[in-house]
Amino acid sequence: MDSPTQNTSLQRLQNVEKRIIRVLELAGGVMDELANPTGPRKEFINNHCREFMKMIKDIQVTLRDEIKSACEYRPFEKCDYSSRISNEICCKKLEYVLSQLDAMKQTIDEYQATI
Amino acid sequence: MEGNLEISLDKLPVKRLDAIEENGLERYPPESSYDEKRVSLIRRIDFAWAVEEDEEKERKKKQKKNSSKDASATWQWQSMVENLQLAHQELSVIIDLINTLEANDAVTVAGMTRPKPLPNELMSDLAVSAATKLQCYRHLGKYFKQSANALEQQIAREARFYGALIRLQQNWKVKRQRVAGPGPASSNEGFSIDLFDNSLYSSTPMSRPSSLSSIRVEHDSAGMLSINLPPNSCHSLHFGFLGVHSADIPKEFNKIRTHGSVGQHTRNTEKESMSDDEYVKETHLLLRDVHQSIFNDQVFDMLNCEAFNQSVGVNVTGMRENYLQLSIGQGTSLFISLVPSSEGDNQAVDTANTQNVDSAIVPLDSFDEVKFGERKHDTPTMKKKWGFPHRISCEIYLQQIVHEHAFLKAKDKPNLSGTPVSGQSGKDGPGLLGHFCLSLAHRIFSSRVLIELENVVCRVPYLHLMTHPTWHSRKSSWTIFMKVPQSILHAESQSPRSDFQNIKDVIKSQFHTKVVLSDDRINVEGEGAPNVVGLFKRSSEDICSVNKYDCDLADLPVILLQQVASQVIRWLHEEALMVGIKTNRYFLSLAFDLEQGESVSLVAHVDPEDIQGGISWWLVMEDGFAEDWKLQMEIYDGTPEYRKFLGHLNLDVLYSTMMDLVTLSDGGGNH
Repeated sequence: MDSPTQNTSLQRLQNVEKRIIRVLELAGGVMDELANPTGPRKEFINNHCREFMKMIKDIQVTLRDEIKSACEYRPFEKCDYSSRISNEICCKKLEYVLSQLDAMKQTIDEYQATI
Repeated sequence: MEGNLEISLDKLPVKRLDAIEENGLERYPPESSYDEKRVSLIRRIDFAWAVEEDEEKERKKKQKKNSSKDASATWQWQSMVENLQLAHQELSVIIDLINTLEANDAVTVAGMTRPKPLPNELMSDLAVSAATKLQCYRHLGKYFKQSANALEQQIAREARFYGALIRLQQNWKVKRQRVAGPGPASSNEGFSIDLFDNSLYSSTPMSRPSSLSSIRVEHDSAGMLSINLPPNSCHSLHFGFLGVHSADIPKEFNKIRTHGSVGQHTRNTEKESMSDDEYVKETHLLLRDVHQSIFNDQVFDMLNCEAFNQSVGVNVTGMRENYLQLSIGQGTSLFISLVPSSEGDNQAVDTANTQNVDSAIVPLDSFDEVKFGERKHDTPTMKKKWGFPHRISCEIYLQQIVHEHAFLKAKDKPNLSGTPVSGQSGKDGPGLLGHFCLSLAHRIFSSRVLIELENVVCRVPYLHLMTHPTWHSRKSSWTIFMKVPQSILHAESQSPRSDFQNIKDVIKSQFHTKVVLSDDRINVEGEGAPNVVGLFKRSSEDICSVNKYDCDLADLPVILLQQVASQVIRWLHEEALMVGIKTNRYFLSLAFDLEQGESVSLVAHVDPEDIQGGISWWLVMEDGFAEDWKLQMEIYDGTPEYRKFLGHLNLDVLYSTMMDLVTLSDGGGNH
């Protein structure tokens, strides 16, 4: 398992999805190999099947971990919409002050230009 | 039948060796099956006699025919027909034999075995079944690979969707409802973003969620999430004073707003060129706009409710859909309206313009321009239009007090900015809207007061004006300082009497007058007027007397100048006491006693309309002998007083004048 590289559970679950795809590809490859008119190559099929089983096991382990560690879903305990509004008001204040300062600077520049 | 009965003998059913090879392999004749044995037995039935007879008959017939018909050509099919007839006869014999055998009931057909498949038939069967199995495997393999591809694509699509959704979920509430309707299941999973804040706004007027509170999250053609809003559904709060247009100062505002509220068409055409990050950011901005618009709607609703409550300071003069007009006194009217905020604020400004009655365009910088007003004091018509607070700052202030009020109700925090709770209305005091209107009225009035103060201060050179922040929206405060110039202080400190000064209280070198404006009441508080008790006692102890009185705007300059003049007099009085001369201090004059009952006084004349300076000084002499007077005088109307106009003196000159008078009185007196 490449757990040190996967930080969030979302990434782990995405990895599980990728493994499922890989498993399907392996199954397809095994079937194709079995359909080989010259006969299946044993090592090829062995390798694929081994990888298949390994991936299934990885998937199972990851899913079990994720399901166990999924926390209880508590919707919207702390809603921050009101502080968001006060932040928006502060943003507007800042914009206003900036515009005033820009106007002051412009006045200064004009004054210095006329000197 | 004639002839001999011929008898044929079967061979013994013993395996007879057919051949033997050199390596000892024995070859037996191939075993014949049951059917073949039957057929061979049937074959062995000799029909020769019948055939001979037939042949004889035929020969006879032929001879007859030939004798009869020698000339006719033989029919080319004749032999075939004869063969067929013979075969037919033989077959009928066989059939009769078989029927007889069958009718006998002693012999039945026991069964017939399938002929043993030849090896190549076996192999070909095997090959066909193997080929079909391989074909099935190939199908299966292709199916697995196809489903792997399809799953990969679907995962990629969903990863985009859910990745964007998770990023949005970090900031907004995402809800899900299972939608069991028809249609493709994958495209409608029932996600929606909830923008309603149910922790605030417990009061009924604002608990009604707007139609925008819940926004559906949909998939677009590429599988990415998309949010579709009807155009012009976002409202922004617009504030303005009637008759005053705002200049295009907030152009930066407009830029920011148009960047924020992305229109439908820009999103659709640029979606492919934007990366997912940018797209999520655009969606964020859109949600921010909607959230703000919901808040603006709530603010406006609340203002409407307040307007119905008839509280102090609220004077509704007009009401339309999304438009509220109020009058705040002194002939000023303001309006608050909700305008659709899509495509920037340019449209908002335009709609506001169409609603204004006055079309005069006045640039609306407020206090910065007023401070340049030293050159503009002589244009009284400008006084009315200056001094309006900036439109944007009023909008922000309105939003802030409404938000704080809602916040206060929810969290019971202490009231910091002095805004009253909306529940108190009517007799108790102004509600939110009333407070807002009163604050604006106060601001406008305070700018007028400031103009007056500046008029006073800039004419008198030794006065300084300082504005104090009061952190209350309906109070303003200024202080006028009269500062004694440093040169006099230094001169004093070098005089031999400085030792006394160190022991006694240091002479004040700074006198202040405080002007406080509450709503529209001016209160002037200053020191320096003579204390009545001190006048009677004529003591040198200075009881710091502070005057406090209300006045109105028209009288303010006079009162200030009087206050300042009395402060100057007081200072001179103290200086004289420092030197050791007793002087009498009156309201605006300082009298020195000379010998022989003469008195010379320095009188201040206060005139607010005086352009060169507010305070001018006169030297008045009383009860003196005119012929001993050495200074030139101007005699007025034969009064016993002699006055000399000294002009507008600054403190240095005043001080030296006073010192001259001191020496005059000193030289004359016994001190």
